[in-house]
Amino acid sequence: MGSATAPTSPNALCFSDGLPSTGLPCHVEISADGLTVRFDEHNGLGEVNLPFRALSVSAGGLNHDQLVVRWGTAPSTQTVYLKDPSLIRTFRSAAPPELMKELDATAAAVRRARSRNRMAWGITAGAIGALMMGIWFSMDLLVGWAVDRIPLDWERRIGESAYQDFLIQHPAVKDGPAVAAVQEISERLIAHIPGNPYTFEVAVVKSEVVNAFALPGGYVVVFTALLQQAENAEEVAGVLSHELNHVLERHALQRIVKQLGLVTTVGIIIGDQQGLARVMKQIGVELLSLKFGRSQETEADVTGLQLLHRSHIDPSGMVTFFQRMTQKERGGVEWLSTHPMSAGRAQRLEAEIASLPKTAAEPFTFKWNTVQDALRPVAVRG
Amino acid sequence: MKHEILYPGAFPMVRVELAAGETIKAESGAMVASSPTIDIESKMEGGFLGALSRKLLTGEKFFFQTLRASRGAGEVLLAPTVPGEIVIMELDGLNEYMVQKDGFLAGSESIKIESQMQSLSRGLLGGEGFFILKVSGKGSLILNSFGAIHKVELKPDQEYIVDNSHLVAWSGTTSYHIERAASGWVASFTSGEGFVCRFRGPGVVYIQSRNPGSFGAWVRQFIPVSE
Repeated sequence: MGSATAPTSPNALCFSDGLPSTGLPCHVEISADGLTVRFDEHNGLGEVNLPFRALSVSAGGLNHDQLVVRWGTAPSTQTVYLKDPSLIRTFRSAAPPELMKELDATAAAVRRARSRNRMAWGITAGAIGALMMGIWFSMDLLVGWAVDRIPLDWERRIGESAYQDFLIQHPAVKDGPAVAAVQEISERLIAHIPGNPYTFEVAVVKSEVVNAFALPGGYVVVFTALLQQAENAEEVAGVLSHELNHVLERHALQRIVKQLGLVTTVGIIIGDQQGLARVMKQIGVELLSLKFGRSQETEADVTGLQLLHRSHIDPSGMVTFFQRMTQKERGGVEWLSTHPMSAGRAQRLEAEIASLPKTAAEPFTFKWNTVQDALRPVAVRG
Repeated sequence: MKHEILYPGAFPMVRVELAAGETIKAESGAMVASSPTIDIESKMEGGFLGALSRKLLTGEKFFFQTLRASRGAGEVLLAPTVPGEIVIMELDGLNEYMVQKDGFLAGSESIKIESQMQSLSRGLLGGEGFFILKVSGKGSLILNSFGAIHKVELKPDQEYIVDNSHLVAWSGTTSYHIERAASGWVASFTSGEGFVCRFRGPGVVYIQSRNPGSFGAWVRQFIPVSE
């Protein structure tokens, strides 16, 4: 459409008091002198010639994308709405300077409204983004709060069921020098935990896999193969101290809460602790396959070394055991898959040891050879 | 294409007579009955992406159905899901209508339906969501409402205030902005109105006499809660 089309084809809507509220279709033609508005013959309205000086303009329509041309005085004001962009362009190019000023002001107002709209969208998108980032970064803080609110009793129950399930499939070694040695080491360590709220249970399990793990609530399992691989009691103490500190720092609970997500976390903060075990089951969080994060490993390393130091056990056992296991790097050393010994980790451990004040180590009552001999019978007999 | 509203009032139907080869597009699921000469085609208006965006953005159905009198003239009966009036409008190619997402029932093949994004405040507070349908072109547009449909005619610069959840459709020449129903925030919500739309003429605004959201909330209290 445009000024070149046949005069009968309407290209605008005309509004005024006597006309329908949806507007009367009309044909607008633009010339150098002004506007000609032509109505359908059967309307009996004929045509109106309007010089530019009689017109005023503004923007209209839902998105301010229509040009509103107005003429006449108050009671008998008439308006045409121009929507066709080419018609609006023609109007602009024909308009005299006085009207141009009005047109420019209108266009500026529309641009301002549009940029305000864009800005509002931008600000909203930004705010949502910032909120998400905030939640992401405060997640650890929230997890911490939630974990603090889980009662010990609950933690114990969660850990105990997994512990019992595990022991049914992997019977514990009941007595013998190995069990006695592990007991002595753990008792020494546990005795040096200040304000220990846990009643620890440490089990030795017969297995070819080099592994040890801790469950929430204070349940620790050491595999016989790990004892066989250890060259001295201090190395076992290093592993045990590390595992005990996973419990003390409630690392497993932190992982669980993180896996369960923010909604549950908030639920726990608000007080729905009953739901934790149920939700864990639903989501299928398995304690035994739970892996700790790097920062948790570091924390357990550092606090583990401190505990060894307080217990008067040579802390270098922790480093030597990790390092030897990594060098061997063969199948069956499961503990390494969850505790990889990177160069960085070794350095950190050694730096940590160096920073600890020197104390004399107190020896254990057992001989490590005896323990290892006791673990060997299977091989000897075979 | 001839059409007629049957049983005007709360439970109306539209009978559309199609000449051989003529088509009508309708909201999917709107067909009640038809002559055996009519074929139903599912069509994604505006292509797959257009349909997808309409579905995702306006909540309007993914497909429109196209009813084609491919094997000779025939009639189709169409009805909306909710009880309420039907109104038929003839678009002249100049007037455009904005239609809230549940308001569209059917239209001639020649009318054009697009999704249009609203401004943030209208989208958030207007009650129609961020996207509405923009219907243009030449042909018949059939709208349905929840309750009775009331037409408000606005002269140039005449203003009118409508509760946002009662909107069905309005012409493209009217503009509106959102404002609080009462002068204070608390009063706005305790009055039960919250936000309202201030329309400014010229043009027409179609409003529905019932509020679907409030009706839903009212029904919900009678639904037994199962554990």
